[in-house]
Amino acid sequence: MKLQTKINIRFLAVTFLVFSVAGMLFYFALDKLVNQNISEMLESRKAYIILNLQQNIPTSESIESPDHSIFIRRTEKTEQYTVFSDTMAYDQEEKELIPFRKMTFSVLSGDQHYEVILLQSLLESEDLQMIIFSFMAALFGIVLLALFFLNRWLSNKSWNPFFRSLSVLNNWKIGESQAVGFDRTGISEFDQLNSTLENMMQKIQADFVNLKEFTENASHEIQTPLAIIKSKLEMVLQDKTLNDQQYQRIRTAFESANRLSKLNDALLLLSKIENRQFVDSLEIDVCQLIRSRLEYLEELFAMKQIEVTVHLDNQVTFTLNPLLADILINNLLSNALRHNKAKGKIIVSSENQEITISNTSEQTEMDVSRMFRRFAKQATSSESNGLGLAIAHEICNNYNLELIYRYLSGMHRMTIRQKSQISTNL
Amino acid sequence: MIEDEAALCETMVAYLEEEGYRCEQAGTVELGSEKVNLYEYDCMLVDIGLPDGSGLSLIKELKKCHPETGIIIISAKNSLDDKISGLDLGADDYLTKPFHLPELNSRIKSLLRRRKFEGKQELVIEEISIQPENRQVFVGGEQLPLTRKEFDLLMFFVSNRGRVLTKESIAEHLWGDFADSADSFDFVYSHIKNLRRKLLERTKTDYFQNVYGTGYTFIA
Repeated sequence: MKLQTKINIRFLAVTFLVFSVAGMLFYFALDKLVNQNISEMLESRKAYIILNLQQNIPTSESIESPDHSIFIRRTEKTEQYTVFSDTMAYDQEEKELIPFRKMTFSVLSGDQHYEVILLQSLLESEDLQMIIFSFMAALFGIVLLALFFLNRWLSNKSWNPFFRSLSVLNNWKIGESQAVGFDRTGISEFDQLNSTLENMMQKIQADFVNLKEFTENASHEIQTPLAIIKSKLEMVLQDKTLNDQQYQRIRTAFESANRLSKLNDALLLLSKIENRQFVDSLEIDVCQLIRSRLEYLEELFAMKQIEVTVHLDNQVTFTLNPLLADILINNLLSNALRHNKAKGKIIVSSENQEITISNTSEQTEMDVSRMFRRFAKQATSSESNGLGLAIAHEICNNYNLELIYRYLSGMHRMTIRQKSQISTNL
Repeated sequence: MIEDEAALCETMVAYLEEEGYRCEQAGTVELGSEKVNLYEYDCMLVDIGLPDGSGLSLIKELKKCHPETGIIIISAKNSLDDKISGLDLGADDYLTKPFHLPELNSRIKSLLRRRKFEGKQELVIEEISIQPENRQVFVGGEQLPLTRKEFDLLMFFVSNRGRVLTKESIAEHLWGDFADSADSFDFVYSHIKNLRRKLLERTKTDYFQNVYGTGYTFIA
């Protein structure tokens, strides 16, 4: 959710609350005032009628004013009383039942008691309610509109430096050593943010260069002693006077040195990928690459009597470093070969910008959460160093590709495809 | 041989001298440059990362004074940039540490064959004669059909006659960086079995000797 939307929603909620409470209070206050007015009006009319009745004794049994608001009749009741009540009555002008305030009281005129009923229309009060409601609603609307535009204008103006910084950050690529510069914004918070970011980026860049140098140096430093160990052991193996047991021991040491050197290579490769040290990317025709790789491995498939089915008619291109593309495809194909069973199957297919490599295996479904982790190897295969899939996964990650594992109808399937745009949106 | 790691240098020299080469060593760019300018060599092995500079500068120097000398780069940096710039400068081959000694030997032999005899040298081992430039093998004057991999394998063994070749070094020779990508040892075994059978059928001699659990030796 955008910050602006979020702020707008809060504004809306608070304004709504304030307006409804204010409207309600306003209504009750006015209502009370109007009621008081009506009562006072009725009281003053009562005083006037009493005065009139005491001076002029009515001649008829009952009198009614032409507008039906005053009704006087003789009564047998002798006690004095004044009663207020609300009632509905038919109004000639409005042609409907409308609410009235009714005042009933008794008057002594001469020696006769009269009961007087005064009616006062409450229509004004109802109208008042309507007016307040619509006024409040209109005001609410206007304020909202004003807030909306104000907010948009303000945030566009005040967040502008933020979005500029954001675009600088988005365009920044670690490993490409261009200097990062933020413009001065004149707003202290943003200037502070920018200078913090600048410091951080410089630190990251420096660390990155250090790390890069370290991996390269580590590689050099480890490979040289390994080269010495291997060459010395190889020399010893040339010795014709060794017995079988000695051969066996040297051979084990030699194998271990070999594994160590492969492991070192693989780990270095992995850290190089993670450090994004492979900068150049090209459009790679993956189908073409797979075909040439399959040709290369043809003999190995034949030896294991593995049936290879190829459906690569739909061209698939990915953008990535050519060396890494080679490694990715090679790792997946050798994985399909290594974990295959004798007389098994490998199916390579392409469709909808997707490449799928499927293989049969002795093993059933694998744990997806573990399989791309480093050294998550199966105990049965000692030849694998457990880094092949981790490397493949890391390569995909770095080039906006997805490596998906599925187990379907007895086959392990690895699919590479472009990451969907939704998941990569910021 | 321009290499600053004395222990490694010594082993390489020992292996190559057994092959009958005369080796001279230098541990720095300065010493190397002196030797390159003074003498003429058939082949120079040069490390890129030297204590006083890059081996690449020596390649430039050598190309100026003795362009016919073969150059093999030996580097611990398995970086594409080094490889490309080295080969661009005129190096003939590139080996990444750690490498197998028989591999180095076979690369030197192949380089010298190309440089000295323009590849037209015929290798003769008893009744087998090999023509490296057109990749053909003859036994008693009659051609022996070999697959591409079998030929590579035979060349590797012939270059390292009498040596114990480990399964690892054979696999790496045949498949390079992808040697560990599959069950390559089984594959080495099956290739050797085929080559051995083909040679045995024609020559009635078994040239291959198993070295217990380790590898094979080509005896002739």
